Amino acid sequence: MTLGLLAALVLVLAIGGFFLGRQRALSTAKGDLRKLHSLPGYYGQTVALFTAVPAFAFMVFWLFAQPALIETRVAKLLPGEEHLDLVMSDVRKIAEGLDLLVARGMLSNATVSDMRADLSDVRSRMGDVGIALGSNVKPAVFQAAKRYRALNNMGHTGMTVAVLAAALLGFGFAFMRIRPEFRARNVSESFVKVLLIAASLVAIATTVGIVLSLVFETINFFKIYPAADFFLSLTWNPKFGGGSELGIWPLIWGTLYVSLIALAVAVPIGLFAAIYLAEYASKKLRAIAKPLLEILAGIPTIVYGLFALITVGPMLRDYFAEPMGLGTSSSSVMTAGLVMGIMIIPFVSSLSDDIINAVPQSLRDGSYGLGATQSETVKQVILPAALPGIVGAILLAASRAIGETMIVVLGAGAAAKLSLNPFEAMTTVTVKIVSQLTGDTEFASPETLVAFALGLTLFGFTLILNIVALVIVRKYREQYE
Amino acid sequence: MNDMRLTERTVDATDIKIAARKVQVFYGTTHAIKDVDVDILDKTVTAFIGPSGCGKSTFLRCINRMNDTIDICRVEGDILLDGEDIYDKKVDPVQLRARVGMVFQKPNPFPKSIYDNVAYGPKIHGQVKNKAELDEIVEASLRKAALWNEVKDRLDAPGTGLSGGQQQRLCIARAVATSPEVLLMDEPCSALDPIATAQVEELIDELRENFSVVIVTHSMQQAARVSQRTAFFHLGNLVEFGETGQIFTNPRDPRTESYITGRIG
Amino acid sequence: MTLADMSHRPSLYTLDARTKARNAAEKRFRLYGITAVSLGVLALVVLLTSVLGSGLGAFRQTMFTLPVTLDAAVLDKKGNRNPEEMAKATTITYGKVLTQALAAVVTERGLAPEGMKTKEIGALISKEAPASLRNMVLANPDLLGTTIDFEVLANGRIDGFFKGRVTMESAELDSNVSPAQLQLAQAMKEAGMLRLAFNPAFITNPDASELRPESAGLGVAILGSAYMMVIVLALALPIGVAASIYLEEFAPQNRFTDLIEVNIANLAAVPSIVFGILGLAVFINYAELPQSSPLVGGLVLTLMTLPTIIIATRAALKAVPPSIKDAALGVGASKMQTIFHHVLPLALPGILTGTIIGLAQALGETAPLLLIGMVAFVKDYPAAPPEGFLDPAAALPVQVYNFTQRSDPAFIERASGAIIVLLVFLLTMNILAVLLRRRFERRW
Repeated sequence: MTLGLLAALVLVLAIGGFFLGRQRALSTAKGDLRKLHSLPGYYGQTVALFTAVPAFAFMVFWLFAQPALIETRVAKLLPGEEHLDLVMSDVRKIAEGLDLLVARGMLSNATVSDMRADLSDVRSRMGDVGIALGSNVKPAVFQAAKRYRALNNMGHTGMTVAVLAAALLGFGFAFMRIRPEFRARNVSESFVKVLLIAASLVAIATTVGIVLSLVFETINFFKIYPAADFFLSLTWNPKFGGGSELGIWPLIWGTLYVSLIALAVAVPIGLFAAIYLAEYASKKLRAIAKPLLEILAGIPTIVYGLFALITVGPMLRDYFAEPMGLGTSSSSVMTAGLVMGIMIIPFVSSLSDDIINAVPQSLRDGSYGLGATQSETVKQVILPAALPGIVGAILLAASRAIGETMIVVLGAGAAAKLSLNPFEAMTTVTVKIVSQLTGDTEFASPETLVAFALGLTLFGFTLILNIVALVIVRKYREQYE
Repeated sequence: MNDMRLTERTVDATDIKIAARKVQVFYGTTHAIKDVDVDILDKTVTAFIGPSGCGKSTFLRCINRMNDTIDICRVEGDILLDGEDIYDKKVDPVQLRARVGMVFQKPNPFPKSIYDNVAYGPKIHGQVKNKAELDEIVEASLRKAALWNEVKDRLDAPGTGLSGGQQQRLCIARAVATSPEVLLMDEPCSALDPIATAQVEELIDELRENFSVVIVTHSMQQAARVSQRTAFFHLGNLVEFGETGQIFTNPRDPRTESYITGRIG
Repeated sequence: MTLADMSHRPSLYTLDARTKARNAAEKRFRLYGITAVSLGVLALVVLLTSVLGSGLGAFRQTMFTLPVTLDAAVLDKKGNRNPEEMAKATTITYGKVLTQALAAVVTERGLAPEGMKTKEIGALISKEAPASLRNMVLANPDLLGTTIDFEVLANGRIDGFFKGRVTMESAELDSNVSPAQLQLAQAMKEAGMLRLAFNPAFITNPDASELRPESAGLGVAILGSAYMMVIVLALALPIGVAASIYLEEFAPQNRFTDLIEVNIANLAAVPSIVFGILGLAVFINYAELPQSSPLVGGLVLTLMTLPTIIIATRAALKAVPPSIKDAALGVGASKMQTIFHHVLPLALPGILTGTIIGLAQALGETAPLLLIGMVAFVKDYPAAPPEGFLDPAAALPVQVYNFTQRSDPAFIERASGAIIVLLVFLLTMNILAVLLRRRFERRW
């Protein structure tokens, strides 16, 4: 039974449960609504919730637990394998191939269990169904694959049975409890509340998922590549034949250089724009210019990337870099920084605008009353008062810049370099995460796993920036509330 | 109006500092101030009283052109400071406000140190040549505002950390630091407790030695305590203007009498 | 100056030097502000015109109508009209048929330059054309033996020639096109054979390989993006609303709630690529969901969109005045009833606006999708949902990235064209959000 069908079945049970429960409540009260504790719909709702929710929760849990359980058991069949990850991916491919063969009627389940890798040409049969294997299949691996397939099928059946059982049990339990005095509304409301709490935990689960997946693979990386080299080496030179040098510094330098240029563009423009719109602009101008600037934040980053690639890059090369003898590359730190700067203007301007508007009018009056001009008031009273909030806004913008991917992928280049020349192509942490993780990825080589260490570095960096910024902005808001 | 002239002669002050003639103020289409004529004397405390919304604060804000910062506000008529029309095109409100200072209803110290709060005005107007001179002005202003003894050891502390009464006196110190000729006070005690109010009132009386003070107040007792002359506003009109004692004991206009005896307000 | 000496003030009518300087500084400051605002708006204008300018061409394509005689003896050697047997005639055979048809026409009209080989003439035809002709014939074997007017796309270089991308000089150095071929194309155009016309296939076609930019389209990408949006909407909206209701209405004020709040605020600012790593590690490597599938893309984008929806929903819930809650509670409704019967319906416009904006963000997101295999070259349309959620597909923004990674500059035009399509979708969504807000926004 496919997952979709199973889910549909549970849903049908739940919907049926709603009507049956409602019916039963009415009949126990002999049609007299006043005898019921709750409205009849609540009895139905209780049955539906008890039917569907535990069953679905069970299903999701099973789906997540099954792969790990099966893999550990299959791995025991493969003692002494050096690259367990690689072998396991073969096992999975073969199992998938066997499934396909059976599904197309080219093999029967009985022949599969009699098949032996040393007797039949597994590799070519796999080729028939479009599964490419790198080498001939070792008997142990083939046995493992058969076991894997069997366990998977068993697990699948087990799940179907278990989920249906959970649904029916829940149905029966809730259905039997229906009496006129049963507090159906309270029960179903508590149930809904549990669901609401579960939904708000998704955010926590996401963070936990991010941290676990990053940390777990980073540990794997440091098992095969020395951490000291990663953090201290000044060269980044991955080689797929082995002997890579994976020092993070050139990437960090590129990231910071690009972000610095981006901030150098965005902070003055964003800040002055915010000041102008908040303090000087007429209502009309503000109503036009503010949304226009905010459009910049709504444009997807790939658009900026293309802009860097086809417009800004060639322009900088032709009018600045080449005449000044600074380089011949159209991808450069300057290209990416400039375009990224445009992108983060609204991050600086919008938040700063809010913050400047939160400065109480009485401070402006105080300053004007003393004979200060508007710009003196802005510079000496409003900005100092708004400074913490503006710093928070800039930190958030910096965090955006550091984590931005598409602009640097298309605009900054791919060469890891430690150079001061802004017209030279350099690369960033995010670019390397993309290049190390796109295409076919085998999770055994340091060249792939390094992406997780880079990801963890990036996550840590932006996390600190975000939290500091959030705390500052929050404190600031409280001050004027 | 002729009666007013009579009472004026009885005040022992010298010259007219500010003369307002036929002042009209409009907020959009609302006629907020109608035909107001007032003479404010030097080295005198003048109180503006009247029920809420009578235009007394609006009129006060005309005297240093604070209403300029409100887009929809329009002022007509003449207001003369030492005989010069402050609404003349050639006049820069910035220069004017250095001579006509203002203290607001709610204490509004800048989020800076006490010292910097007081030094703000002299600095922006370039009234000092060096740090020593500035120190001198800060100290003198704080003394004038009767705050010096309380804050002299913590001039670097933020002005926002002071108590409400201290904050308001800091704002007064800030206003006198530019050595204005006129000091406008818009209900300066309405956000203060009685003790702080008493301190500020005492201070206003002392300020009279050097400045012409105009104070808007809600409290008739306060007007009676601190002012020598009182103007009563009602619905945008200046109803009666004269010596404080006369206004409170022997009002000429029935509306003034109703207000003072508590029938309107 | 001390407090005492204020008697000899200058007249108000004359500006002293310092005031003049201060006013000049004021003017400069104001100028900086105007400059900053104009620079920002200018950047927007340049950005949009640059993309629009280079992308509009993708919607028009050089094409011509070719009378093709479908010779049954060549295309169906056994003569049974059996599609399975006819499939033996490969695209190469069809290519020859097309080449000969074109050669016949241009020779008849005397357009071909002296000594030009038939094969060179055939190179004007898109390499995708034989395949589409073959599909057409296989679908309708009755066409055999007739002469049909077949719409043919011109090769990408020829198209580039008419759009100014390819010139006689560049053709000299180009192994894929010769000046003679360009001359032929020019002659065909002058003879009224070639035309530059609107090309709906750009929207509907699947991607095409490196040598066939003229037939590359966005069909698979649009479908893939649509599938992902369906998943995001189906998951993020209910989860987001449920989480917001709990946080706004039920959550106690304690450290755990605080943790959730900080967490959501932080998730909203986590770099998108980190979500891609999460998707790769959890959904693909661990849960073994298929790479490049809209399901995985949709799940990753759901997690990314949740914070946006939660923040918007909470603001909408907060805006419902407490008096309405008090009224419902006052007549004896339970808290849950109050929220679901009164608060939620009133907050709905705000929630929907936030959701649409979140979806628009998700639609434009590229980086995380690169990591979960959406960069793969996909030429087959995904099946209808729900199975289609597991088929490989592309996504619009990733398709843009894919186009930029190819060497033929014709793909840059297509990348910009794809962006125009993407921006049209985003614009529609945002306008919808604004209209919703205008129509239903209430102020209490």
